[in-house]
Order: sequence, then C-alpha cells, then structure tokens
Amino acid sequence: MPRWMALLDGPQTLGRGPAFWSVFAIIVVATSLLPTFVNAFAITNLTYFLVWVFMALGLSLIWGYSGILSFGQTAFFGLAGYTYGVISINLGDAGLWTWFALLVSLILPIVLAVVLGYFMFYGGVRDVFVGIVTLSITLVLETFMAQTAGPEWTIGSARLNGFNGMSNMPPLTFPWGENSIIFDGPAFFWLVLALVVLVYLGLRILVNSRFGNVLVAIRENPDRAEMLGYNVRLYQLLVFVIGSVLAGMSGVLYTLWGSYITPSSMGLTAAALPIIWVAAGGRKDLTATLLATVLLTWLSQQLAVKGNQYALIWMGAILLVVVLFAPEGLFVTLWKRLRGRKRTRQATAAKAASSPSA
Amino acid sequence: MATILQTRGLKKYFGGLYAINGVDLSIEEGELRCLIGPNGAGKSTLFKLILGSYEPSEGTILFKGHDITSLRPHLRVQRGLSIKFQVPGIFLALPVEQNLRIALQRAFRGAALEQELERLLALIDLEHQRTELATNLSHGQQQWLEIAMAVALQPAVLLLDEPTAGMSPEETFKTGELVKKLNASGMTIVVIEHDMAFVRQIAKRVTVLHFGQVFDEGSLDDIVRNEDVVRIYLGKV
Amino acid sequence: MSFLVQAYAFFYQFADSFAFLVLCGLGLAIIFGMMGVINLAHGEFIMCGAYVTVLSARGGLPLPFAMLCGTLAAGLVGLILEFLIIRRLYHRLFDSIVATWALSLIATQGMLIVAGPSIEGLKTPFGSFELGDYSFSVYRALLPLVALLLLGALYWLFVRTRFGIYSRATIQDADMARALGANTSRIYSQTFALGAALAGLTGALYAPTMTAVPTMGQAFIVQSFVSVVVSGADVMLGLAPAAAVLAFIQSLLTKSYGQLIGQIGLLLTVIIVVRVLPKGISGWFLQRSGGR
Repeated sequence: MPRWMALLDGPQTLGRGPAFWSVFAIIVVATSLLPTFVNAFAITNLTYFLVWVFMALGLSLIWGYSGILSFGQTAFFGLAGYTYGVISINLGDAGLWTWFALLVSLILPIVLAVVLGYFMFYGGVRDVFVGIVTLSITLVLETFMAQTAGPEWTIGSARLNGFNGMSNMPPLTFPWGENSIIFDGPAFFWLVLALVVLVYLGLRILVNSRFGNVLVAIRENPDRAEMLGYNVRLYQLLVFVIGSVLAGMSGVLYTLWGSYITPSSMGLTAAALPIIWVAAGGRKDLTATLLATVLLTWLSQQLAVKGNQYALIWMGAILLVVVLFAPEGLFVTLWKRLRGRKRTRQATAAKAASSPSA
Repeated sequence: MATILQTRGLKKYFGGLYAINGVDLSIEEGELRCLIGPNGAGKSTLFKLILGSYEPSEGTILFKGHDITSLRPHLRVQRGLSIKFQVPGIFLALPVEQNLRIALQRAFRGAALEQELERLLALIDLEHQRTELATNLSHGQQQWLEIAMAVALQPAVLLLDEPTAGMSPEETFKTGELVKKLNASGMTIVVIEHDMAFVRQIAKRVTVLHFGQVFDEGSLDDIVRNEDVVRIYLGKV
Repeated sequence: MSFLVQAYAFFYQFADSFAFLVLCGLGLAIIFGMMGVINLAHGEFIMCGAYVTVLSARGGLPLPFAMLCGTLAAGLVGLILEFLIIRRLYHRLFDSIVATWALSLIATQGMLIVAGPSIEGLKTPFGSFELGDYSFSVYRALLPLVALLLLGALYWLFVRTRFGIYSRATIQDADMARALGANTSRIYSQTFALGAALAGLTGALYAPTMTAVPTMGQAFIVQSFVSVVVSGADVMLGLAPAAAVLAFIQSLLTKSYGQLIGQIGLLLTVIIVVRVLPKGISGWFLQRSGGR
C-alpha cells in the first residue's frame, strides 16, 4: 500500500480499518446517487449543508489540530465570495473565465492569510489575542463592505452594494463543444460532493503525516516543539493559510450556490457558527467536525422552517451542554465511550481466556 | 579538546534585576559539567539564554565556534543543542510512543525510525508503556521520557535542567548512570542540579553560579573545600 | 466664537465616546482583565440592565431606582450564571469562550422571543442645551463625569476595602489567598457578579438614550473588548488612558469619514496595540516604571 494511503488511518483521526472505510464508501456512493431519486429542492438543500464543510474542516485544522483559535475564517469566506462575484460579473461566463474567477478567489484569501499570519505569529501574538485580532479583521471587513452601498462603490461592472449584498454572478460554466456545462442543480451537487470527499481524504492524510504530528506537538506544547527543532511560527503560518483556502472554498461555493454574497456573512453571528459546529462535534477530529457541520446546518434549517425563532436558542443550548458535559465534542466523546466499552469487553475476554494458565 | 559552547559577558536584565550578570562560561567538547548554585542564582535562566528562549541584554553565545546569539531557538536545536526543561516539557496528552516519534521524525524515517524508537524505549525502560498517555506516567518516568526526547535529537550538547527533581534515590542513581553512559559515547552534557550525591556520582567539573555570576569553578572536591561556597548555600537555605 | 463651538462639539463627541468606552469596558475589565475569563455574553448583561431599567421605569419607578434595578438584575443573573456554568470553566479558555458565546446567543434570541424586536423606550432626561448651530444632550454630556466617578469608586473598592484586597489577592494567586483564609470560590463569584452588575449599570445608564432591542448587546461588545484589550490587565491604570486614546481616534475618523470608518479605525487600533503593546497600556506603564 502506498505510504500516503496508509496515512488515511493514523493517530490524529478517529475511525480506521476496513469497517470504517466500507461504511464511508457506502455513504459516498449512496449520496452521489441521491439526485436520481430525490427531488431537486432536496438536492439543493443538501448542497447547501455540504458547502459549509470546508470552512469547518479548516477551522478544525487550525483550532483542533494546531490549537489556534481564529475567528478569521469568515473573513476569508467573505473575501473569496466577493472576489468571485467581482471577477465573474466582470469577465462573464464564456470559456473558462468562471474557473479563473474561482482560482483567483482562492488566491486572495491566501494573500490575506500570509499577511495576517505573519503579522500575528511572527509578531508574538498568542492564544486569546489571535482570536481578538482575527475577529477584529473580520469585523473590519464586514463594516467596510456594509458601507459600500453607494453607486460609487463599483469594481468594473460589479457593484459592491453594501449591506444589500452582491448578486447575479454566473455559475461555474465549462465549455463543451457548441454548448456549455453549467454547474448548477445536480451538477453543482456532484462537484461539491467530490470536493468534500477529496478535501476530507486529503486532510486525513495531512494530519496523520509528519506535518500533522508537528501540528499536534505545537498545540500541546509549543515550547517543546520548538526545542525539538521545529520552526513553530512557520508551521502556524502554513496551517493558517491552508485553513484560509478552505474557508475561501466555502465562500466561493456559497456564493455560487445562492448567486449572492452579503457583508453579514462576515458578521459576529456568522463568525460564531463554525466555532459552534466544530466545538459541538469535536474540534480535534475531522470526521466528527464533518458530521457535526452537516447535522447542525440541517438542524438549524429544520428549526427555521418550523419554529423560526428557536433555532439559535437550540444551537446555543447544544453548545452549552456539550461544553459542560462533553467538552471534547459530542461525536468524539461518543466514539471514545464506545471504544472504551469495546476495549473493556476485549480485555475481559482476554483475561478469561488466559486465566487458567496464570 | 575544542571548546564547543561558550558564553562571553552574558547578561540578562529583567526589569529590576540582573538575573545573569556577566557570565563567561566555557564548555569543552565531550565534557560533563555540573552547574550548581542556590535558588535564584540564574541557572535556568542561563540555559534559556543558551537555547534562545530569552534574548540576552548583553554578551554573546558561541556554539561550535559560531555566534548563535541572534539565532532562533529551533535553529540552535537544528545545529546540535538540546534541552530537558526543569518542568517536564513533554506532550502530556499524547502516548509515550508518539512523544518519541515527534522527537525522532526530523532525523529518522521508516525502519530506522522504528529501530531508534525501540532503542530509546528500552533505554528509559518504558517498552511496556509505549501506548500509555504521557500524563499517566510517574514523575520520574516523565523526566526520563523528556530526556529520551532530548537525546533522540542526537545533540552535540545536551542541557539537563534538574533531571532528578522529584525522583526516588534508585531513579536518581539510574539517571546518573544514564547520563554517564551518554557522555561516554561522546555527548557533551551540562547538568543543573541540587542533589549533591548526584553531582558527585557524575561530575568531573563543576561551576558554581551565584547572583547571576560564576562564583567558582573546578572539580567537586575543590568546590566543596571553598568555604564561601558552603556559606552561600547555607546562607540561602 | 464659531471656532470655540466647533472645538466644543469635537470635545463633546470625544467625551461621549470616552464615556461609552469606559462604561462598556468596566464590567468586562473586571471579568477579563482581572479574572482572565473571556465573557462573550458581556453585551447581554448590558442588554439585561437596559431592559430591566426601561421596564421598571415604565412600570412607575423613578429613573434612578429603575437604573438600580437594572444593575442589580444583571448582577443577580451574573451570580446565578457563575454558579451554574462559569465556575467550571476557569482554567479552560477555549471552553469559556464557547460557553459564553452560547449564553449570548440564547439570551439574545430569548429576549427577541419574549419581548419582541423592540420595546418602547425612555426619554433622555435633562433635555438639551444649544451652542451655535449645535444642540447637545445634557445627559450625555454628564456621562463622562459618571464614568470617571465610577472609576474612582472602583479604585476605592479595590484598594481600600476588604473585599477589594481579597479579590485582587485571589486573582493574583488563588492558592496563596486560600492559605491565608480567603473563601476563594465566593470571591470569584462575587467578582464575576460585580463585573456583571457593572455591565448592567452601563445598560441602565444608556437605556434612556437608545431604543432597547435584543441585539443591542452586539453594539456594546466590540467596544468593550476594544477598550479592555488596549487597557491591559490593570483596570485602574489602563482603562481611562485607553478609552481616551480610542475615543480620540474614533472621534477624529468619524468627524472626517463617518461612523463606519470610525468603527474600523477602532478595530485597526486594537490590532496594532495587540501587536505592539501586548500587555496593553497598563502593561506598558508598569514595564516603564521598572516593575516585575
């Protein structure tokens, strides 16, 4: 088995072995078949839940694996979303321009992340102050975009539109002979699903690799990590940048999904949501984060449909219960309990089998 | 023998006092040096300055002949320095094995890494606790784990800050034997210690620090004969 | 004459921002600056104080008593929450961030459901006075004095009273304080309640100047963190200077470019201060005077 594949199972992720991967494969295949027997509205909905996964996984990487609490994910989300809007509205959907827009929208968050990351990690900003600086940046972006409502705020032919939000950007379009493939509906769903699977697997390999080992070391004891010869600040910067690309991915896909982006996607509440999903599921594990994100976005939508107002209260309550009683996250705690019971059963069985000879 | 580690006129000022007030230290390659002195003499501060956790207010540090005074800590470690902190600096939430792996993975890969891992586990007697979380180890075992991690880097100079703190007499003796063994294989070691029995077990040369300065230096017998040294210890208790 | 009016208008704006920043920051400075707890529900304590004040005043109480009710209500809620939730989270930084954020979410949404999107407010007392083309609110002109008075009162509390001394000792070194006979868990809860009550007082003081809406906490929380971060851990030493600097920057920018740019200016200042003066203004003062 090639080395990278062996890394899919590793010390930093829960779930391994044939049983786990069989279930994983079944879920992926079943999900990809959904458009054939589920209506378009449900597919669009499911796409919406999947769109947020990247940002959550990015936060899990930064916070759960590396110990950096950043409120900046929403800043990268918004930056990428608006960038896609501006470029695609200006360049149109002919040829491969929408893909170019997608690419640039992922590059801009990287630039911001490098600048911000350098400023913080190489400037000795630690712990809670990283949270404060990143939250401030997010709010600066939100405040700035909110006051761009006037007609003078236009880049090319794209009006930024302030708190009204920018809309009417074209979906991803791929030229196919005389026609073009437009990525909306099921096509968009499959694209997002494929990206989710790729990113999930890629991150599993990353966090279980030597790079991932160092991240965890930095999280647990940054001074010791430095004294083992690791350039701690560089690792922090790198992981921050990776997280920013993932957040940007969510931003672009969100903008594509609704053909709409607004400053409130960078507001205080928006900045809180990924923290809620990641904390509730278990920030130190990718799978737990993924499950929690999909589940909680689905849950809050259900609540919004039925009893509108209570959605955020339930979210808050879930979070409170998790922090107080299962601080490692709901899914991580459940998994460990189940494993613990299994191990005790195995140990008792082993003891029973070996005791006559003892 | 060549001088491998040297400080010249090293000073560190901490908003009110000079923790280190002009230290000229010279360590030969292959030495086993003990650093002793009453509490507050500046011993740990000196180690932190050598590793780069603190920036000196004045003075220079030379390692293998090169000036490392402005190098970041991780670069100093990459050049061959290693430290075991006073307060155990291990990854408590990770298993013993993972702790060692992280220390080894920069220099080793694949089968060589696994081999070295086994060797270290045997060295510190934790082969059967390899999957145990480091936080569940006894204090002495944690100290050994950290020593093993520091040694895993195969450093040219190893700094040990109170390696036997909190250990039983048997553990202390075992640690002493381990330190002597490492030194015999060519590793230069500098040890900060309070336990005089331990110092006697391992030391060839001793430096006494007091109020951030070198107070005396020589073999342990010479030091003990110096009445002022005895006085500063008694006076500070 | 016109220049003097302009100058006063700027000073009024500056003093208004100053008061806002000090009052917002006070409760949080106690809880975050002194206790190290990140209280993201701070804005909701302010909201609680504001709502109780408005409802009490509408219910017939004279305004000063209504404000007292608001303050005490917030303090009581703080006491309860500390007992139920906060005390389990003292050494768990990330968890206290998440938990207090959850509380903030619950409180905001809860208030929205219970009291609706807004409630009928109060009139600002004392009317206004005119200078040149401008009209100024007497009440808001007095708030900076209230802020300074409160700072003075807190100084007296923390330096001259038994509670204050025990509180500072506990926060600096809980084990030592306990060894000396202090009931540390009671002190933690009292200090937290004090922070909550101060937040409530802020809400009470500003209640007559704004419409009480469930999301009003969000308008305060950012200003609160900004002033506390720039101030640093020593509230007495750092909060007033921090508020002064920030108020100046905000007033200057708002005057030339508008509210939102003023807000951005504040946020950028925080970012720069975190980087350049990580211990805030009070930390810088202490360092310069050679302490520790």
